Amino acid sequence: MNGRPRWSALPLSLRPPPVALAILFAALTGGALVLVSGHNPLRAYADIVAGSLSLGSLPDTLNWATPLVGMTLVAAIPLRGGMVNLGGDGQLVIGGLIGALVPLVLPGPGAVAAAAALAAAALGAGLYATLAAWGETRHGIPMLISSLLLSYPAVGVTSYLARFPLRDVTTGLPQTAMVPAAARLYPLSGALNVGSLIIAAIAVAVVFVDRRTVAGYELRMRGKNLRFAGYGGVRLDRQAVLTMFMSGAIAGLVGAIVVLGSQFRFIDGALLTPAYTWSGLMAALLVGGEPVGAIVAGLFFAALQTGGFAMQRDTSVPRVLALVLQAIVILFLAMRQGVGRRFR
Amino acid sequence: MAFLVPEIEAVGIVKRFGGLVANDRVDLSAERGEIHGVMGENGAGKTTLMSILFGLQTPDAGEIRLRGSPVKFRSPIDAMAAGMGMVHQSFKLFASLTVWENIVYGVEPRRGPFIDRRAARTKVAELAERHRLAVDPDAAVGGLSVGVRQRVEILKALYRDARVLILDEPTAVLTPPERDALFGVLRRLAAEGRTVLFVTHKLHEATAITDRVTILRDGRTVARLRTADTSPREIVRAMTGRNVNLKVDKGPPRVGAPLLNAVDLTVAGPAGRPAVDRVTLTVRGGEIVGIAGVAGNGQSELVEALVGLRRPDGGRVEVRGADMSGADVEAHRAAGVAYVPEDRAVVGSALTASASDNLAMGFHRAAPLALGPFVIPSAFAERARALIRRFAIRIPSERVSVGTLSGGNLQKVVVARELSHEAPVLIAEQPTRGLDVGATEYIHEQLVAERDKGRAVLLVSAELSEILALSDRVLVMFEGRILADLAQDKADEETIGLLMAGRTAEAA
Repeated sequence: MNGRPRWSALPLSLRPPPVALAILFAALTGGALVLVSGHNPLRAYADIVAGSLSLGSLPDTLNWATPLVGMTLVAAIPLRGGMVNLGGDGQLVIGGLIGALVPLVLPGPGAVAAAAALAAAALGAGLYATLAAWGETRHGIPMLISSLLLSYPAVGVTSYLARFPLRDVTTGLPQTAMVPAAARLYPLSGALNVGSLIIAAIAVAVVFVDRRTVAGYELRMRGKNLRFAGYGGVRLDRQAVLTMFMSGAIAGLVGAIVVLGSQFRFIDGALLTPAYTWSGLMAALLVGGEPVGAIVAGLFFAALQTGGFAMQRDTSVPRVLALVLQAIVILFLAMRQGVGRRFR
Repeated sequence: MAFLVPEIEAVGIVKRFGGLVANDRVDLSAERGEIHGVMGENGAGKTTLMSILFGLQTPDAGEIRLRGSPVKFRSPIDAMAAGMGMVHQSFKLFASLTVWENIVYGVEPRRGPFIDRRAARTKVAELAERHRLAVDPDAAVGGLSVGVRQRVEILKALYRDARVLILDEPTAVLTPPERDALFGVLRRLAAEGRTVLFVTHKLHEATAITDRVTILRDGRTVARLRTADTSPREIVRAMTGRNVNLKVDKGPPRVGAPLLNAVDLTVAGPAGRPAVDRVTLTVRGGEIVGIAGVAGNGQSELVEALVGLRRPDGGRVEVRGADMSGADVEAHRAAGVAYVPEDRAVVGSALTASASDNLAMGFHRAAPLALGPFVIPSAFAERARALIRRFAIRIPSERVSVGTLSGGNLQKVVVARELSHEAPVLIAEQPTRGLDVGATEYIHEQLVAERDKGRAVLLVSAELSEILALSDRVLVMFEGRILADLAQDKADEETIGLLMAGRTAEAA
């Protein structure tokens, strides 16, 4: 105990920010791991940084960040009100499938089809997410469990649809037919497309709602003390349903954006393998659902993961290291918070 | 009774927390066989001093002496080994274990590696018998009333043969009969030669039971008085540093129209028995109606039904003549009900939120705090500053989270918010629980002022003196029913005390 630096004894302005400290400790630990595995840690880190933040790789990072930050918001919104949505995967694939199907069946100009696809994806996934809220408010099924459980049938059913009735029989893969080129999201630079702007706009809107609206205030108060919010006249049931709808709708939108912007068809498993849901959940949990912090954390994880790919390409250090690093950052951050509480 | 060497002494105790000096050269001394009162307002340093005496805190300076020899407690284990015992305000018991298991915990009689259950049980039963503290050793603590739990706490200390027993605000949770029983126990313990340190801020208790009192203010010992030679007025002056009006000033009520009605209101309870059983009551404008009763007799459920937090299972509630059946909290508030809840920290506030956010609740949907769906942060802050000023809430700024405030100041935040609704009906539940004399006086004045503005005030309190001091009419609640509706002149402590125990025949 006595050996630990007592940051609380320093004036606020001189204390190292806990986030920077956690990243530093994580980098040291991760560096030691690289060293043990017989590689040069400095080289590995240089690759991660260059592979994520250099001008050439920035579009890749942002493209990777789009779904990750989107799913961070999906987790952060309910978390702000003390609720947990573990059903991101299910909502993501529902949105993805709807997004892939609407342009196939809807006649009309491509832009209209794309907009309709995004809206339908958000609506469908949002409604699916409200099932969990409804189960809790009406039947007392804890949302933590039901949101996760509802994810499995969604993943299963969309997988079935992509493998059998809706499969593109011209290919041998479990995937739907290609979206017409006109209905794809407008490309900006490299892999980047208009979908990133949509997610960025939503991120700004979420921060604004959190800070400047009645709904945001009520959700924050619910998160701080559920009974206080209820006592103050907040309609808790309606709030839970609406919050889950918003969260699910963003997940659906993310699914549709990935499909219409990058993959151009619904490919079974392709939305789930990168584990956006879980990276996003971790980013949101780190800051207790505070939206600005969550967005920053989501961006950071995206950079780390993109850099990890680059490192694997250029050196023989496997990209798993980036995920290890991410895990260690989270552990150190969580520890700082636990320790900080005691000094307060 | 005077002995040459005091049983326990604290000499020049200093304890700092950061920049705050909680104890500033505090002295205290109690004789063997004495019941010694420790009094002071919240924040005066009573709890810190008791924590130091029980080894929960170590003093920065000063000395504790036990029967003349200096002792250093590094933990409560040291303190207990030296013969100290403490009954905390919130009991430290395992709800799922039995009484005897709780009592012997940590010093179990053993047979080999196993607990000798029979010996433990017998010892506990004997101990209870000897001290006339009636408890069933095999009962699960979770199912016991607070009064009985307190007896378990006392037995726990006695099982460890505590020579000095510290009781921190022991009567806050007791009915008058339970309180009198506790006083009986404490007198017997003192007569056996044990020393009791009795922490309280209730005057009538200090005068009823203590031999001497030590009074703290702002972390200092300001008076050490022999109870028989002092007066309540002198004690209060020492505690507060000023003259406080002990009686609530209020004129006769100017009663208006009924504003709050309950008709045959019924709320189902957990065990099949209704928690609220066909309660009918009326509160008119300009009067304070008090509901007396031991906590847990349906008052909380009644209030929750009245404010819309709980759907009644029968009967109805009317606010200003409008039927509120099926209406939620928001609708009740809109109809004109303000509510100071029983638990300011669990229900009445969000501790980690700022004062500004706390004071805005309920006002945040309409002008001036909101414009359509948007909130206006500057209006939040402005409103908070105005209320902080008007209610003299001691807080560095409206941005500070209310969890850092003292109990009295936190309660002022809750009361400020609810009174500023200017609602025709005010329901106040245990509004001064745990507050010191100054804060209590302030809250009482506010309630009377509300009454005099023509509002209907329903006061629910387990504190009989508070009910008697404020109420124009007193209803007594027992096992979910209203047993009596007494006019102020018919309401005396004895009658109400009997009714609170459900003894209608004797009270009549």
